[in-house]
Amino acid sequence: MQITIRYMASLRDRMGKREDILDLPDTIADSEALTAHLQTLDPAANALAHPAIRLILNDAIVPRPSAVKDGDTLAFCPPFTGG
Amino acid sequence: MATISITVSHDPIDSGARLDALAGADPDCGGLASFVGQVREEPGLVALELEHYPAVTEKALQTIAETAARKWDLHRAVIHHRVGRMEIGEVIVFVAATAPHRRAALDAVGYMIDLLKTEAPFWKQVHSNKGSHWVEARDTDRDAADYWTDQIASEDA
Repeated sequence: MQITIRYMASLRDRMGKREDILDLPDTIADSEALTAHLQTLDPAANALAHPAIRLILNDAIVPRPSAVKDGDTLAFCPPFTGG
Repeated sequence: MATISITVSHDPIDSGARLDALAGADPDCGGLASFVGQVREEPGLVALELEHYPAVTEKALQTIAETAARKWDLHRAVIHHRVGRMEIGEVIVFVAATAPHRRAALDAVGYMIDLLKTEAPFWKQVHSNKGSHWVEARDTDRDAADYWTDQIASEDA
């Protein structure tokens, strides 16, 4: 399955890129399995596993863990700091 | 049914004009409360830059305003948030509410600004004369949002 992964704000700097489009094994069923997979590809992805990191899945803020499927876009977000 | 107004824009926010436009707009409301967040002067600070997650941000602000309108029986709930680069003194966010009585309007504004800080996907970056860094979320902001969330949960129970 193919998933688009976005890295927002400070995570973009940490990862050194805005997004990845990855072909992933179908055994990756949720955000946490995906995070673990990303950590095997790049140690910088350890930052994505921090419990304070929020998720936006296909234009909705979702809890961790959340199921992912082919064609999804998943954004990893540092804690929000608006206002 | 309350009137909800949400904008997220690069355009400067004229808070005085925004407030004037609301004064008297709801003649059956005795309370019009507002909050204006602006770029605070700090040593070395040159500018703030706000980025957000388009579409998700507006939806999050809409949910916050609708929740406030429902809880405090508002006639109007307003959130205008700026994104992009802002210099010291410039307005980042304008929040307002109208209600028949002051307490509801004041509490609703407190709720909306506290919730948007932790529940709407904005990120602040500081540009200073020493470089740039992302602003980290503060526990006090989390506590402020939790205060309202707990209060609403206890009243609904």
